[in-house]
Amino acid sequence: MRIVSSLLLVAAALAYPWLVPNYYLVYAGVLTVMYAAMATSWNILGGLSGYVSLGHSAFFGLGAYGTGLLVARLGWPWPLALGVSTAGVALFAALVGVAAVRVRGASFVIVTIALVSAMNLLAQGWRSLTGGSVALQVPSPFAGLHRGQTHLLFYHLFLALLAAVLLAWWLISRSRYGSGLRAIREDEDKAESLGVPTAAYKVVAFALSALFVALAGGLYALWFGSLDPIFVFSVVFGASMVLMSLLGGRRHLLGPLLGALIVAPAGEYFLIALGETQIHLTATGVLLVLVVLFMPEGILARRWRRDHNRRAPQVLRRSDGGA
Amino acid sequence: MTLLLQGLALGLLTGGLYALLAAGLSLYFGVMRVVMVAHPAFLFLAAYLTYSLHTGFGLDPLATMPITVPLFFGLGVLLQRVIIRGLDPMMSVLLTFGLALTVEGLLGTIYTGSYKSVSMDYATRSLSLGEVHLPYDKIIAFWIAVITLTALFALLVKSRFGRALRATVQHPEAARLVGVRTERVAGYGFGVGLATAAVGGTVLALVTPFFPASHWAWIGKLMAIIVVGGLGSVLGAALAAILLGVVEGLVLVTVDATWATLMFYAFLLVTLLLRPQGLFGGRLAHRF
Repeated sequence: MRIVSSLLLVAAALAYPWLVPNYYLVYAGVLTVMYAAMATSWNILGGLSGYVSLGHSAFFGLGAYGTGLLVARLGWPWPLALGVSTAGVALFAALVGVAAVRVRGASFVIVTIALVSAMNLLAQGWRSLTGGSVALQVPSPFAGLHRGQTHLLFYHLFLALLAAVLLAWWLISRSRYGSGLRAIREDEDKAESLGVPTAAYKVVAFALSALFVALAGGLYALWFGSLDPIFVFSVVFGASMVLMSLLGGRRHLLGPLLGALIVAPAGEYFLIALGETQIHLTATGVLLVLVVLFMPEGILARRWRRDHNRRAPQVLRRSDGGA
Repeated sequence: MTLLLQGLALGLLTGGLYALLAAGLSLYFGVMRVVMVAHPAFLFLAAYLTYSLHTGFGLDPLATMPITVPLFFGLGVLLQRVIIRGLDPMMSVLLTFGLALTVEGLLGTIYTGSYKSVSMDYATRSLSLGEVHLPYDKIIAFWIAVITLTALFALLVKSRFGRALRATVQHPEAARLVGVRTERVAGYGFGVGLATAAVGGTVLALVTPFFPASHWAWIGKLMAIIVVGGLGSVLGAALAAILLGVVEGLVLVTVDATWATLMFYAFLLVTLLLRPQGLFGGRLAHRF
């Protein structure tokens, strides 16, 4: 039964672009799947090791500009540009990670905010390379396709990326490495004293989670065709990955995906309903505050606990209620 | 040489404002272990209030402080007592981040995204010391910051409330045992922190044009300052602020604005690599 319903969901996801009446909804679908892939990737670090990064948009932006510049300025074929820029960003993330994971908790959050702010400054300041606030134009690698067909193609590319990230998260969470990351999340000092190589584990998690976000950035550059530093290197954009993961449940494989399915369409709806005012920022902010206050473990955790309690014997449930 | 002196002087003046704002951030961190990402957003809220009171009622920006400061103190106490208390440090960052977005969105909706500024005729002139020109608005800002900081230190060191607050920072349980109402003290501490944002906002409105999204630039700078100074150390934050203000001023006149701001992040990175607890910080920084 579970398998059948899962297969149906996958089939529905694959067929989505043909099921909706217009290309705008395909476009919104691409954005949603992109967010889902990024939030899941964020969750490799945030969910497993417990290190909350508000700066993952830095890797998105670097991946996007890397791919975009290689294609636009050097005329590289897009798959090569995508691969090289993603590898470069992962390497960069590993180097930054060595410094960043030396601090924990709130200090780590500060460092990630600083990272994205610094990248934003560089991208805006280095006009000769990035074009600055005049957006960088990336020629479409699929010039033969019209706008709608491009959306259709990138919908499936992002879907493939999402599948890859989900697989990666699942494999890591079941591995010895994943247990090590969880040990870091629960009690880093104890984990270290038990022989978990915490620093190396954290740096690898940081780089892996940056890698998939950079891939998403590169695909975004090829799809959208125009890069603005203010958007790609925005802290708000990085925060949306966090919001999605928290809302869905960051201890769960499908938590960030679920969060993205709620937050991304809601964001698009806000944009249409309320136009270009800034009130959508307030909506995001209020949602984040509510999630942190009332359901920091996310939707899936609630469901999981409810199911779990139903099956658990009476005694356990009572002790659970006290906690 | 004149250029360097000019940069040094301007950096010092700006550093004063940074010090005031960073002191507020350190205070929150000390009492609550909260990294208050929304501090700059409230700073700009205060700047916009000053702007409204100035354009609406013709008040001098400096005369708005008796209104904004108590208002922000009350708001701070309320925020701490109602929503921030009881959250762990990580969640409180995300919560205050949500608050920052909320404030920015409201400011953008009410005042639109365009630049606003308050200009007073006394603020447009400048004082000339030989070849170095110091704008009066920056001098006023500096002195307000210095006076507020001095008052803050006096409050923390001399008063009964200050002793209770420092006791709460150093050891909450022990403080409770000797009869300090730590919850209430933490609330007031948060109020004092937000009140410094009100003072800073007034000063900011006087010295620079602002728009709703400008608080992001400040978050990065202020966060860098408190990490370099050592999380939780009010004095360390103030010293690091002056240091980074001067470095920024010097790079600004010799290279350009981008590199001047990047200096904050360079110092942050170097501090993390060589001395993660900060220049003046203690054991706190590692754990939070």
